[in-house]
Amino acid sequence: MSLLSHELRLLLRSRMAMGALALVAFLSVASIIAGMVEVAHQRAVIARIAPQQAEDIGAIAKWVDHDKDAGSAAYYSFHPTWDAPSPLAFAALGMRDVSPYILRVRALGLEAQLYDGEAFNPELALPGRFDFTFVLVYLVPLFVIALFHDLVSSEREAGRLRMLKSLPGRGGHLWLRRVGLRFVLVYGALVLPLLGGALLSGVAPLTMLAILLLVAAYLAFWIAFTLLVDRMAWSSVANAAALAGVWLVLTLVLPTIAHVAINQAIPVGQGVELTLAQREAVNRAWDIPREDTMHRFYASHPEWRGSPPLPKGFHYKWYFAFHQVGDESVAPQVAAYRAGLEARDAAAGALGWVLPSVGVQAILARLAETDLKAQLVYQDRVRAYHARLRQYYYGYLFTDRPFGKQDFDRAPRFAES
Amino acid sequence: MNPVGSSPIRLVAADELRLMLRNRVGMVAFSLLVLLTLVAAFIAWSHQRDIAEMRARFQNEATQAFDAQPDRHPHRVVHYGHFVYRPLGPLAAFDPGVDAFTGNSMFLEGHRQNTANFGDIRQSSLLVRFGQLTPAFVLQVIAPLLLIFLGHGVVARERERGTLRQLLVQGVSARQVLAGKLLALGLVAMLIGLPAMIGFALIAGKPGALAAPMAIIAGGYAAYLALWSVIVILVSALAGRSRDALLGLIALWAVVVILLPRVAPDIAGHAYPLPTKLETDIAIQRDLRALGDSHNPDDPFFAAFKQKILRQYGVSRVEDLPVNYKGLLGMEGEKLTAGLFERYATDSFGKQVAQSSLMDGFGIASPAVALRRLSMAAAGTDLNGHRRFLAQAEAYRYDIVQRLNRLQAENVRYADDTAQDEGADDRNRVSSQNWGMIPAFTFNPASARDLVRASLPGLWLILAWLAVVTLALFPLASRLQRHAK
Repeated sequence: MSLLSHELRLLLRSRMAMGALALVAFLSVASIIAGMVEVAHQRAVIARIAPQQAEDIGAIAKWVDHDKDAGSAAYYSFHPTWDAPSPLAFAALGMRDVSPYILRVRALGLEAQLYDGEAFNPELALPGRFDFTFVLVYLVPLFVIALFHDLVSSEREAGRLRMLKSLPGRGGHLWLRRVGLRFVLVYGALVLPLLGGALLSGVAPLTMLAILLLVAAYLAFWIAFTLLVDRMAWSSVANAAALAGVWLVLTLVLPTIAHVAINQAIPVGQGVELTLAQREAVNRAWDIPREDTMHRFYASHPEWRGSPPLPKGFHYKWYFAFHQVGDESVAPQVAAYRAGLEARDAAAGALGWVLPSVGVQAILARLAETDLKAQLVYQDRVRAYHARLRQYYYGYLFTDRPFGKQDFDRAPRFAES
Repeated sequence: MNPVGSSPIRLVAADELRLMLRNRVGMVAFSLLVLLTLVAAFIAWSHQRDIAEMRARFQNEATQAFDAQPDRHPHRVVHYGHFVYRPLGPLAAFDPGVDAFTGNSMFLEGHRQNTANFGDIRQSSLLVRFGQLTPAFVLQVIAPLLLIFLGHGVVARERERGTLRQLLVQGVSARQVLAGKLLALGLVAMLIGLPAMIGFALIAGKPGALAAPMAIIAGGYAAYLALWSVIVILVSALAGRSRDALLGLIALWAVVVILLPRVAPDIAGHAYPLPTKLETDIAIQRDLRALGDSHNPDDPFFAAFKQKILRQYGVSRVEDLPVNYKGLLGMEGEKLTAGLFERYATDSFGKQVAQSSLMDGFGIASPAVALRRLSMAAAGTDLNGHRRFLAQAEAYRYDIVQRLNRLQAENVRYADDTAQDEGADDRNRVSSQNWGMIPAFTFNPASARDLVRASLPGLWLILAWLAVVTLALFPLASRLQRHAK
């Protein structure tokens, strides 16, 4: 124990080491605060929409109530959906700043609504967010390099290495103590603020345990790599330069090359194509016999087949039927587009096995549910909700039931997963 | 400082370059960077070509589909709408800026303002957040680090070994030593920047590329690399040992190039929060309801509009108008909604500009932030460039919709438009020849003057930085001179 406290005294005397540790702690705390502020902001935005939405629907209900037309109700009512941040989102903000976490939909064609974006300033999104993941993936390796690159080489340069090697007993213990002590201090500086944030945010214990292990593994990887280089018998300067070069390649160069490669190998033009095709299908309905549309619609939705035939003039049930038929006509493109996005995501995930920087970021974003997959899960929930909306309005439209004020309150509400 | 022609300076520089040439690791790193630059230039160029080709193809398809519509009621076409795609200027291959972060396809229709969709950012894995491999990225982020690797020891090494003292005793002044070292490192910096600039010239030197913004980009990056050369010399001379110089420089680089550019947008985003699209949509609907209810025949606003039209044509009933009243009503409604869209879009964009300005303020602390602004602004790939597209798309949308409303007013009879009989649907269609008369969307890129004006603030910041650190060399030289005695 006294040996360990001796090592600690040595470390405390090193201004650079103490400065580095203090900085790690500061950056960790700052990133946790920044992440929590951002998540609180997102929650506040979601909480803000309910009253505004109620007022909007109330105004629509007021004038629809005059002739109680379910078609008008369905056409003019937008329904909110939202994707609340997970407890862990503060540590890995992921893609939540660029993909909408609030979306209004109505019972018309979904493929023309689902891909709408959110208003955000692209210049702010471009550099990426300052969160715990960023501090861990990008900055911590640099601190590891600063703290560990000359453990051996500095002793050699000071001429103490031979003496240390010839000490009685197992000389390995000395290095174990030195490395172990530094590891524990850096790890503590990183993880203690994170634990505080996790407790305040209510992160599940198992998730937290997984992250603690992940952080330890990532830190251990960089320390092991640094020590490996340190044993090469180069000078301290050469060690530092070589390590910084490796850091650059692993965290900046290779991920950017991989990004280009993945996007080139897996093109996803179907998004644009399916919106073009869906619009074509929807608008064609005006130029073909209305019965053709109804026929197609009843074929896939036999539950409404008993609906009375179309009147001479306009009827909203035909309008909604051709919107749904339009959606269904692009189902293959939707599936292909979706598969393309998932393939891109999977390719990046596979790369994580080779590049620790990518792996850690991918795992954290997955646990925090802020990655592309989480975006797609949210889209699925919007899809399911939209199907419920359609069913609800069709119950009035295809039976010619009047749609009054109280029926607005009965409309399905989006439920959080 | 002495003019660079004087021989001690040249000797020091030549000596330093010889050492660098013998530094095998340094040479490997340098070659790798050149290779990376070429790869980045090639990737950016082919990526840009693909994008341009794809967007042009989609734009063509959309225009053909629009023109190929059958005979339709004009209001059907208002809802059939149109698609427009944002083309990319030639300079985007060097610095694509926010292109990947904004949607680039937009659906235009009546009474609605849609978002631009299908940008790279929502269709990519999280790798997109690691940065994009472009010549701009290589020069902004990686080149300074290479300069640090190659140059951190140029003065510190001489101090460690006592050779600096020897030089000064032999009558070479400290200023000459620093000037020589700076000359050597500056040459290296030029060589680092050269492949990117050659690639830049090849990529962007196409017809339609603008000379002045290109010159600004070239000058801005040259100043940035020169700035880093001076910083490396400064820190190398201040630090007693090579190792301390290296660690100090890497720390400085991490703060200036990696950390600050990320912290700045966070602060800016919270200083000026943006309203969400949903809230804007609701607000616009609320404003429209306050203006008047077009569903209500007794609404004062629309009743007044009707009276105005009747007076204008000197008739007492809408049925007697020589034009179709429903078309006129459509034009009035579109004018109202478009005015509201404009107001809210301007408001949101104003907030975004405030965010970006606050972020640019960090250029005082980080030349990397200043250079990014200069680069994007000159390439026309910044927020302004995106706004140009949005504004032109909106103007085009308004123009199309009003042309169609006019067609309805002039070519569809009011009696047919309000009839409910079976044949009415055929009677109120207009000829499909009208669709081809509607002009296609052409995007007007920014003029050279606009691009230059937007990029100058960033350039001044970088030049100011360069001046400040260069001036700092003088007291440093005096200090070294004193210590040698």
